[in-house]
Amino acid sequence: MTPMPERALDGLTVIEYNRTGAAAYAAKLMADLGAEVIKVEPPTGDPDRYLGPFPGGEPHPEKSGTFLYLNCNKQSVTLDITTDSGLEVLESLLREADVFVHDVPPAEAEPLGLRDDRFRQTNSRLIWTAISPFGESGPQRDWKAYDLTTLSAGGWTWLNGWPGHPEMPPLRPFGRQSAYQGGVNAAVATMGALFARLRTGRGQHVEISAQECITAILEMTFAFWPYMNIPTARWGQRPIQPIDFFQCKDGGWIFVLCVEEHQWQRLVELMETPEWTQWDVAANRFVRASNWDALRPFMEEWASQWTTDELYRAAQEKRIPFAPASTLGQLLDSEHLKARGFFVEVAYPQAGKIRQPGAPFKMSETPWQIRTPAPALGQHNEEILGERLGLSTAEIVSLNGAKVA
Amino acid sequence: MAGPLEGIRVADFTWVWAGPTCTMQLAYMGAEVIRMESMRRVCTLRMLPPWPDGQPGVNRSGYFNQYNQGKRSIQLDISKPEGIEIAKQIVGMSDVAVENFASNVIDRLGLGYEELRKVKPDLIMISMSGYGRGGPESGYVSYGPAQVPLSGMSQLTGYAGWQPMHVGMSYGDPNAGLHAAFAVLSALFYREQTGKGQYIDMSQQESTMAVLGEGFMEYEMNGAEPPRHGNRVAHMAPHGVFMAAGEDRWLSIACANDNEWSALCGVMERPELASDPRFRTLADRKANEDELEADIMSWTLMQDPLEATERLQAAGVAASPPLMNRELAEDRHLASRDFFVEKEHPEVGVRQHAGIPWRMSETACEVWRAAPVMGQDNDYVFEELLGMSSERIADLKARQVIY
Repeated sequence: MTPMPERALDGLTVIEYNRTGAAAYAAKLMADLGAEVIKVEPPTGDPDRYLGPFPGGEPHPEKSGTFLYLNCNKQSVTLDITTDSGLEVLESLLREADVFVHDVPPAEAEPLGLRDDRFRQTNSRLIWTAISPFGESGPQRDWKAYDLTTLSAGGWTWLNGWPGHPEMPPLRPFGRQSAYQGGVNAAVATMGALFARLRTGRGQHVEISAQECITAILEMTFAFWPYMNIPTARWGQRPIQPIDFFQCKDGGWIFVLCVEEHQWQRLVELMETPEWTQWDVAANRFVRASNWDALRPFMEEWASQWTTDELYRAAQEKRIPFAPASTLGQLLDSEHLKARGFFVEVAYPQAGKIRQPGAPFKMSETPWQIRTPAPALGQHNEEILGERLGLSTAEIVSLNGAKVA
Repeated sequence: MAGPLEGIRVADFTWVWAGPTCTMQLAYMGAEVIRMESMRRVCTLRMLPPWPDGQPGVNRSGYFNQYNQGKRSIQLDISKPEGIEIAKQIVGMSDVAVENFASNVIDRLGLGYEELRKVKPDLIMISMSGYGRGGPESGYVSYGPAQVPLSGMSQLTGYAGWQPMHVGMSYGDPNAGLHAAFAVLSALFYREQTGKGQYIDMSQQESTMAVLGEGFMEYEMNGAEPPRHGNRVAHMAPHGVFMAAGEDRWLSIACANDNEWSALCGVMERPELASDPRFRTLADRKANEDELEADIMSWTLMQDPLEATERLQAAGVAASPPLMNRELAEDRHLASRDFFVEKEHPEVGVRQHAGIPWRMSETACEVWRAAPVMGQDNDYVFEELLGMSSERIADLKARQVIY
């Protein structure tokens, strides 16, 4: 009898080929729940190894913060898949695998020979998950994209800017969010396909468009066109108020938010019922939004009399959903996050000890775990290509154009 | 072809945006998702715009209808003991329960995991609160917009030298919803093989920080808060959103290498810029980024952004205007991929909604029905599933348990 798996995805083998961070994030989500993930890297390495951030700003392929964060719990093999022999080795890897996830766009994947009909023929149980900026069909299929332009094509960039400063450009959010969204959507769809396979015994092709991942999450702003013929306001629709930042006396920023009317009533109490809160122009969340330019200075004055932390606690005490604009240092020191054990410390052989975000959710029976730090380039060539696939050291060297010993 | 989750049922206690995003993914895959709603505590999204003709109504919100596609809705007041008992009966016939109240509210209602597993021992349940269970801030209240500043994302986002900014939407919500769907699917996969259900505790603050990894890595590596850089990044230049011809028209351009930069110079008909010593390499362009951007903007200011995008793409340069909702709705690429969903809805008719960002070749995913009107599936659930008599239903309605 096989022992009961301890982790949710124990026993699954995922082969990953990452270009943009999307495939790496999809595979990270699965690796952290126990799947065995083998990263296939070109002999020069996953491009994220060159992205940074780096300690002291000094580039080093084993010290890129982006790469390290996305690749714990994985094994690395190097393989030049632009050659026939490289593709044959990939085929051998995929013969025994459950999932292949990659994010090479179709215009480049097809000439490379990354076509699922070839590989799924030898493994009918394989889930082939392909993430691309614009998907695998349509007139813009082969358009080039990086995170900024994907976020723009998806409709997110337009939403952020500064009211009253039309000369300031639409603004991207921090981080490669189209890659994170492409990745988490890919992980969701892949798990759906794996669940279906438990019943059908068959794998399938799964396609993810990063543009669509963004267009799918534009809050209520997209619907303003089909429902009311209203074009999106550039800083996002703010149909209600308060939803705004104010600076406190310690220099920190508080985010003031009342979604429900009863929260506003309690905020009025916290402010000790100043006269302006009783005016008609402050009567409900919609009229406050229409008159926000006039009302805002009153709240700004009030918020400036508090420290950020005092105001945060006082509002939450009254169940008003304020939040501070947390700095990363504050988050790493947060008593709440410490009590929950959120951050994990990982000892990287070359970059040293780093505290980084841990489990995005906690499962009662099957733990989320960091078991190994991100692999060095080609660290598992001997183990995977040699021992598992039976290649000789000479073959491994020649596969990599003699670049990796 | 049936969807991958055919035969799976979800007891959906969610409201606002995060929880409904989770259960919508499951509905896309063919799970039967039953929203438990009531007129006593109407979902926040049902009360928010946009509404056709600007006329509010609990069944008219485009915001609600976007994120509840393909689900069923019943009216059940779970603040009443009989409502709780009926909710438990539904959970007993379900595989998954999802809720996103503030932490512990579901326990106070008597519908916590320990209670629900009595009626469904292998239940998978996920709680998606703002701060998670346990820890000194566990009881705090939180909505999606606040997760952006709370998670650190606002400190990292903004124009250089300006204050922390928002990101234009309540990103913590859909991001939590998608991570939650992944967690539920992983738990279902595990249950199918072991027979074991489980409880999943999600903190939206934490799932938001999970997508800010590179920011935390920079802080830890260099001991300082990462500065705000507007649209610039360290590894590409140009990398910006440039003002174009027309009122409030813009064009996003990113060049990852010298070849793409050279191609951009060609399209701008300024080939000399590619060999200009200020701009020859990435390091040169980063060192002279203000001048670089000024030169590009002197060209973009004369360009229609859609037309310029076509020419840049033909030359192999990554470019796109920041599309607004109308442009997305009329986008020929998205339309050609059948991305949008237009299903008849009893009160708002046929409206365009964003659809499913993935395609499966064998087990098709689809939206089988528009978002439900409040209580649209009362008959199906109370009569067909639970087998209640019409007298019992009438009595429950009279006493506002079904309400």
